[in-house]
Amino acid sequence: MATQQIDPRGPRFGAAITATLLAVSVFLLLDNSTFSLGAGVFTFVTLSFAFGAAFGVSAHPYGLIFKKFVRPSLAAPKELEDATPPRFAQAVGLFVALIGWVLQLSGVEFGFAIAAGAAFVAAFLNAAFNYCLGCQIFLGLKRLKVIR
Amino acid sequence: MSLELRLAVVVAIVAGAALLGVVWRVTSGRSRRIRDGKQVDLAELGVLKNGKPVDEFGSRLTFLQFSSEFCSQCVQTARILGELESQSDDVLHIEVDITNRVDLANKYQVLQTPTTLILDRRGVVKSRIGGAPKTSTLETEIGSFEI
Repeated sequence: MATQQIDPRGPRFGAAITATLLAVSVFLLLDNSTFSLGAGVFTFVTLSFAFGAAFGVSAHPYGLIFKKFVRPSLAAPKELEDATPPRFAQAVGLFVALIGWVLQLSGVEFGFAIAAGAAFVAAFLNAAFNYCLGCQIFLGLKRLKVIR
Repeated sequence: MSLELRLAVVVAIVAGAALLGVVWRVTSGRSRRIRDGKQVDLAELGVLKNGKPVDEFGSRLTFLQFSSEFCSQCVQTARILGELESQSDDVLHIEVDITNRVDLANKYQVLQTPTTLILDRRGVVKSRIGGAPKTSTLETEIGSFEI
């Protein structure tokens, strides 16, 4: 796999947008009157994860917004990072979102909201604390033989 | 659901995540002493440095860093430990990618990457750092091996 190098602040910028959208969706999903709006936001985030997992974070619209509007006003990054760890995080996000879809469609109340809350925690930790999902869980999943 | 309750749920999730983040920041990257650590088998690690297999430990200490794919902090950690290595003749830094070495992950009970083992001059595990090491932790560690 080609190892593309990116500005590490790009994925964190994207995670901040994702976290905000997920928090909003949790709020909207909790009430019947706004549920469909919340489901719309959750659908958007699910598609966004799918895009990030399939094409990588630098091709992602958030990455492009960062490159075009945010990065020019920032100092050069101290170091670049590999583009694959953030992509792995997007895939995990997609997996969590899809669990939400399964729960919701099988009739579990707040299925979307639970998944949105869980995905929010990961996105928030990434944006605010530079938490790296790939560092923390990849090896554990591998040792448990969840991934080959 | 009432507006107040919905707001309370969202605030609770944000606060919970923030608390998790603070706990993670504080606990991650610190070193833990290992009593009766075992001697590391360099041949089993199969680590190459400049194209040659490593068969000797650092004469003061060795940083044995376990890394994996999808780990952005491993790269930063390798850079920092590599700098410490280049600053002195008696410190050795070796990095092992255990993405496809589940045997090593199990043997050394590595759950997160980077995980760094600190070995004495005989290669015996003396302490262990989970996560990206804090600079102060590394300084203390190197100081504790003063000869």
